[in-house]
Amino acid sequence: MRNKRSLAALFAVLALLVAACGDSGGTETTADGGAVTTTEAGGTETTQPAGEPVTLRVLVHQNPPMVEFMEQFNADFQAANPNITVDMSVVEAGDLATVTQTRLTASDVDVIDIFGFSNAAQSYMSDVDPPAWQTLIEAGLLMDITDQPFVANYDEATINDAGSYNGKVYSINLGRVSYSGMFVNKDLLGTVGVEVPTTWTELVAACEAIKAAGNECMTVGGADGWPVFVGAYGLLGANYPDQAALTEGLWTGTIKWNDDKGLELFEKYQIYTQDMLEQGVTGLAHDAAIARYAAGDVAFAPTGVWQAPALEAAAPAFDWTYVPFPGSDNADDNQYLFGKYDQGWAIAADTPNKDAAVAYLTAFSEPANYQAFVNAVGFIPTQPTATLDSKLGEAVAPYLANYRVGFEQFWVAPKGVGQWANGSQAASWFAPFNEWTDAKALADQAQADLQAGLDAG
Amino acid sequence: MANRTRNLFGQGRAAWTPLVFLAPGVLLYLIIGVGPSLATSVYSFTNATGIRGAPVDWIGFDNYREFLFRGLASRDNLAALQRTLVFSVLVTVIQFSLGLLLAVLLNQKLKGRTFFRTLFFMPVILGVAIQGLMWKLFLLPRGGPMASFLGLFGTEGEFLGGQPGEAFFWVIVVQIWANVGITMVIFLAGMQTISADLYEAARIDGASGWKLFRSITWPQLTPAINTNFLLNIVGSLQAWQLFLVLLGYRPGTQVLGYLVFAEGFGQTSGAVTAGFRQGYAAAASIVLFLLVLVIGLGANKVVAYREERYMG
Repeated sequence: MRNKRSLAALFAVLALLVAACGDSGGTETTADGGAVTTTEAGGTETTQPAGEPVTLRVLVHQNPPMVEFMEQFNADFQAANPNITVDMSVVEAGDLATVTQTRLTASDVDVIDIFGFSNAAQSYMSDVDPPAWQTLIEAGLLMDITDQPFVANYDEATINDAGSYNGKVYSINLGRVSYSGMFVNKDLLGTVGVEVPTTWTELVAACEAIKAAGNECMTVGGADGWPVFVGAYGLLGANYPDQAALTEGLWTGTIKWNDDKGLELFEKYQIYTQDMLEQGVTGLAHDAAIARYAAGDVAFAPTGVWQAPALEAAAPAFDWTYVPFPGSDNADDNQYLFGKYDQGWAIAADTPNKDAAVAYLTAFSEPANYQAFVNAVGFIPTQPTATLDSKLGEAVAPYLANYRVGFEQFWVAPKGVGQWANGSQAASWFAPFNEWTDAKALADQAQADLQAGLDAG
Repeated sequence: MANRTRNLFGQGRAAWTPLVFLAPGVLLYLIIGVGPSLATSVYSFTNATGIRGAPVDWIGFDNYREFLFRGLASRDNLAALQRTLVFSVLVTVIQFSLGLLLAVLLNQKLKGRTFFRTLFFMPVILGVAIQGLMWKLFLLPRGGPMASFLGLFGTEGEFLGGQPGEAFFWVIVVQIWANVGITMVIFLAGMQTISADLYEAARIDGASGWKLFRSITWPQLTPAINTNFLLNIVGSLQAWQLFLVLLGYRPGTQVLGYLVFAEGFGQTSGAVTAGFRQGYAAAASIVLFLLVLVIGLGANKVVAYREERYMG
């Protein structure tokens, strides 16, 4: 009898646990005209009329000037829309894709920050996986925003190149960045008596003179890894101005990392890494690098234009300019700025807060707000009415007509390649960042690693 | 007379009582432990991306073929496997020895031993993110404490940002620092169970120091030794979080656990649009599981032998 009572009590506890942990309503939530309808497990529907409190979940990547701008924008947006609370999460750029995927899969985000659509499979590529953004669209996780009025605020080329797939728009891209140039410390150059270099030989000579005067030639955020090779994208671009053709050539075998031109590139990578970058950059984080540069004793900072607002904030009186990294001895080859479509916005397809998300992007896309954003982050605008009214704008204006999308946005690796196959990152493989000390050996290995994947396909 | 085995809980339906009480725990284990493991093994035969709504197709052993044999990526994967073994051996041996030494020292009636026990255990509760941040700051190559210390001797290092060998070494150091506390605590707990009478009797017979340790402490610590041995091996084989926090994705430094994470979440190329390959990552994790299984079974045999020998 006692055992029966114990069993009954146990089953009652189990039943309670299952009820508590089980379907927490089997809720289905739809939004319509601002009203939100929630269907509970038993079929009961509750509808919240427009104006009911909404928490809009926004995900962005770490970029200090952008985050600072967004915090102010969110405050203004909330003031204008008292029923909406913006819950913004910030993650490191390298983690953005991971967090985006997991939060979209978990239906835990409404508005996401997504880089411009790139790295799509080309006709000459075989057996490659689609890029993450394409998989998200094909899985139905990104909202089709083709018919949203705010899309028309952006220039058509941007919408087509960076936010569209199969004729529909899924993202508005907020700006292009250049990552192949370098900040130039005009004060320091003047003190040392060196002109702004326009060729590779001039750059090498300038570095020698600067170091002989007790200063440092270049600095990058080496601790984060990627700034080292991104800093050398100008070298790559100066030697291969058509980066789409470079990608195709590597795939088809007409270009090799260890042909004469490739070897020359790798030798320049080695000089950049071992002779130009200052000692200790292996421990310098990317966000801290520009503050290091602003200290005034470093001549050049090969990095992206997104660092300009931080540089101006750190040292307003610093006299600098931004020029293409002179990676070639032919000055004409050094007139290009390579880059990518950077941050964009997209909306989760199954967001229960569709109206709030659309209102958010509409507000952001208003020309006045967008102009303020561009001024804050230093992006090259993607709205035709916006201008880059800043020191950076002045600096890059002569090169904007020669703006080109960089190799990083075209390259898709064949399956089976070795870890050294992406030669555009080779600058970060030389000591002190990695084990390589011989440019030819590395170039040969890079080509061998790439060829292994091409042959395995 | 029939010889019936008497159930402690009674006869008939009452005999089901223990099973009923075990059921929630078993169910939880099946759902949280076994279920995901089974799902991973099934996933390893598909091209799953892990993205909700994306198609999942059965591709048989393609993921395994790619991981183990395709091009030079297989070379890198096997190198990661080799690095995993090296990492595990070094961490296990050093962490085990250091934990034992600390336990022996802090089992003495020394002034401040509670403080030192706390000090050595504290890294265990900090969490990987804090551990990583502390050591990144400590190992700044310019102006960091370690750099300044080495500078006194006229040497320098790039530490975590340096060459793969040097970076790998420092991850081993941090891994040991982060976990030696738990090894020490398990040994300390084992030492509390050793009867003082054994030591007293041995001292009467003239034993001291190393002889006491070898003849009494070491055999009596068998359960704690076996626990630490297994925990250290299995834990170090699966370690990857410190590689993520301290190094990120750098050629020549990954271990298998980190490779699984990087492949599964698109962090292999430095490009922010790299696709997620969770089916492929699942295959890599099964390879890691098999490695852990083989080594774990071997370690278990050693453990069983020691228990037979010392505990009877």
